[in-house]
Amino acid sequence: MASVEAQCQRCHSRLEAEDLRCPVCALPTPKPPRAAAREQARVIRCSNCGAAIAYSVEAQAPKCAFCASEMRTETQEDPIDQADRFVPFEVGTDQAHEALKTFLGKGGFFRPQDLASRAAVDSLQPLWWPGWKFDAQVEVTWTADTDAGAHRSAWAPHSGATHLELHNILVSASRGLTLAETQALSSSYDISKAKPKPEGPPGAQVELFDVTRSGARRQILSAVESTAREHIAKADLPGRRHRNLRAAVALSGLDTAHYALPAYVLAYRYGKKLYRVVVHGQDPSCVLGEKPVSWAKVAVAVLMALALVIVFLLIQAS
Amino acid sequence: MNLSCQSCGAQLVVADTLRTATCPYCAAPSVVERPPTPDRPPPTFALGFVQTPQKARELARETLLRRSFWAPSSVRNASVEELRGIYVPAWLYSALAESDFSAAIGENYTETETYTTTENGKTVTRTRQVTRTEWRPLQGRHTEYVPDVVVTASSGLPNEELEQIEPFDLRALRRYDDALVAGWISEEPSLPQEQCLQQARTEVTGLLRKRLSAFMPGDSHRNLQYSTQFHHESLVVCLLPVWVMALRHDPKSPPLHFLVNGQTGKVYGRVPVSWVKVALAVLLVLLVLGGLYLLLSPILKGM
Repeated sequence: MASVEAQCQRCHSRLEAEDLRCPVCALPTPKPPRAAAREQARVIRCSNCGAAIAYSVEAQAPKCAFCASEMRTETQEDPIDQADRFVPFEVGTDQAHEALKTFLGKGGFFRPQDLASRAAVDSLQPLWWPGWKFDAQVEVTWTADTDAGAHRSAWAPHSGATHLELHNILVSASRGLTLAETQALSSSYDISKAKPKPEGPPGAQVELFDVTRSGARRQILSAVESTAREHIAKADLPGRRHRNLRAAVALSGLDTAHYALPAYVLAYRYGKKLYRVVVHGQDPSCVLGEKPVSWAKVAVAVLMALALVIVFLLIQAS
Repeated sequence: MNLSCQSCGAQLVVADTLRTATCPYCAAPSVVERPPTPDRPPPTFALGFVQTPQKARELARETLLRRSFWAPSSVRNASVEELRGIYVPAWLYSALAESDFSAAIGENYTETETYTTTENGKTVTRTRQVTRTEWRPLQGRHTEYVPDVVVTASSGLPNEELEQIEPFDLRALRRYDDALVAGWISEEPSLPQEQCLQQARTEVTGLLRKRLSAFMPGDSHRNLQYSTQFHHESLVVCLLPVWVMALRHDPKSPPLHFLVNGQTGKVYGRVPVSWVKVALAVLLVLLVLGGLYLLLSPILKGM
């Protein structure tokens, strides 16, 4: 799909070539008008057979009654855009295995001791997961109740306005990875290294975007809103507690891009169960996943705690 | 106004308020082009007809039958006298609305209250929890885009009537093309732009009351006051598909006027009320009540 770089005149958000109106502020996009110099009656002709064309409600398009050819009119299109920037893999397959080993070795007390030696890697799949990156300036006006300045009630109302500059915020469009996983992965990508073609280990799969453009815009807008809310809750609200945080956002300069982000999805077997681990494609120290719990160790710990409590009670009683 | 048909050269008589004409001789559908004026800019967008005339007729009939209980019985057999698909011009307005507001915000708190009451003939003192509201003043600003406001640009279709068949699904918006209205009746904007702009702003101001009410913190609020400034306003003409229908139910009375949203099929129309039917119903209710009274009065007296 050919897209032209164009900006909204009102909020300076990026527009696609097919946009009739700005997706953020709804300003109609300009088209040079074909002004008539004098009054005249024009008959619209079929480009195929030259007969007069009229709008047909059955076809929902201008249609020639003679040769049945339909005329295309410009409408708001809603394609599924695909990633055009691929962040390259910087972690090789061996490094991913190594990262898993380290991850399993750093067990923690309640993990089985033989986890690192007995865990068998079942599968390893390098993949690019889809995500949007956006930049935006956000004018946020908000109201909330906080405990600052409260009198008899525990809450006092506050209001304010903030200008936020959001840069390189990633929003996941992946169905394969969970929200928690993508959020943890997002922070350690260096997207400035992105290339127009995929570069990585052989057999790496590209998870496709499956959201239409309008759906993507909705998700991005809600991500902008939640980012703005988080920022206000953290930085702007007076007091220590808050409730009823309401935020109205007016975006400007929204620019989004489609990215494919590298990660390894591994499955390992310990005992009879399969566990899933995700290794970052650029930073081998970022590993997420589940580990088995050694129930024997947990039972021992609980028993010991119980014994301690009983001893303590006995001492008190005597 | 007289223009010549491009197809056969015959004279076309085109009313000043119309954008389209059909040649009476060769039936060629023409679209009239005029030099634009500030009150009559060329349309920017149009929504195409989706509902077929048969469907529009059915929808109107269904609505009519549903409402015909109180209507004269002749309404049931009303016949469609005239059915026209019209592209009605409307202004599509959007803006950045910046509202400065002030309100009293109610924050609830609970208090323990002591009260005296009589229990078993003795006066005792008890306590209870009561919820009270503390009113705190709040001023602030609320900024957001108002995207889809539609007001009529036609003196033939008042805004109140247009509101009855709204909403239109603006996702199906198309860039205006003469071919979209060819063969249909299409009107030119007939209301001055300034008046419609005021109307749109009034509509937005009303809408903002709801938005601001939801924006207020606290458990409740009162005395909400606000003044709104509009920035970066945009006002363009969009043609809306509307089926206009005249239904004749009685040769003596004027026909019923029905509107059907040409896109979504929403129907609006006033159905007359038959006062004879209402009077009969009232009489019936009175009779039933009287009968009940007569039946029950001996029983009531006996008690």
